[in-house]
Amino acid sequence: MSSITIAMVVSALVFTIGACGVLLRRNPLVQFMSIELMLNAVNLAFISFGGANGSAEGQVFVLMVLTVAAAEAVIGLGIIVAMFRRRRRMDVDDIKVMEG
Amino acid sequence: MVEQVVLIVAGALALVSALGVVIMPNAVYSALMLLLNLVSLATLFLMLHAQFMFAAQLVVYAGAILVLFLFVVTLLNPQGENILRDKRRLQQAGTISMGLFMGCLLVGALLYAFTNGNQPVLAASVTSPNSTYGTVEDFGKALFTQFLLPFELTSLLLLVALIGAVVLGKRK
Repeated sequence: MSSITIAMVVSALVFTIGACGVLLRRNPLVQFMSIELMLNAVNLAFISFGGANGSAEGQVFVLMVLTVAAAEAVIGLGIIVAMFRRRRRMDVDDIKVMEG
Repeated sequence: MVEQVVLIVAGALALVSALGVVIMPNAVYSALMLLLNLVSLATLFLMLHAQFMFAAQLVVYAGAILVLFLFVVTLLNPQGENILRDKRRLQQAGTISMGLFMGCLLVGALLYAFTNGNQPVLAASVTSPNSTYGTVEDFGKALFTQFLLPFELTSLLLLVALIGAVVLGKRK
């Protein structure tokens, strides 16, 4: 098997595990980590196909995904901390309203 | 041959640590498993000749995002949650069967596509000993010429995130 095939299979499986993690866990922090797993799997797919094409485009898109992941982590963790301050519980099922 | 072994070991480590993120009852262990996953994916990037992305992955993800995660986990100190003792059995069974279905579908489609046609390999311009692929020079040239507009737009995204973080963090 070529290195691209191995990397793509790993990428598909890590994405699936991340998607399952978002659905299985009730803790918003761990759900966020699972979303990071999914973003990383997509990064790996970008890099493998960029390598197959021999162009830098795949890497440029990975940088964009990295920026989005950083922004998302900051905003998401800010929301989680604000939520925890009000409710003292960490369960996404408890959150039914998000009034300011 | 050595390359193949490193790829498979790093890939297996990535899969095991991804499962660890989902299964670990304590959020701190999940974060540490995420660190292992990020490092093994960075190794895969290196094996695919993307040296700059290897460094960026370690610095941005493992250095910045993961530290932020660990900081929030230890700040909030949530109680452990064991998904093996969760009572929502129906929801769990549905999720796991969906995951198995999706994983089989994706891997099956990939293997079918890659074994029937010609299997994609790293381009000759990537693997040749004097190629510039993956270096900062090659990457920066693409980023600041062809992809200048998306690059500038990410600055807007970061500004929005910055303002959002300040607004959310402000005490009433």
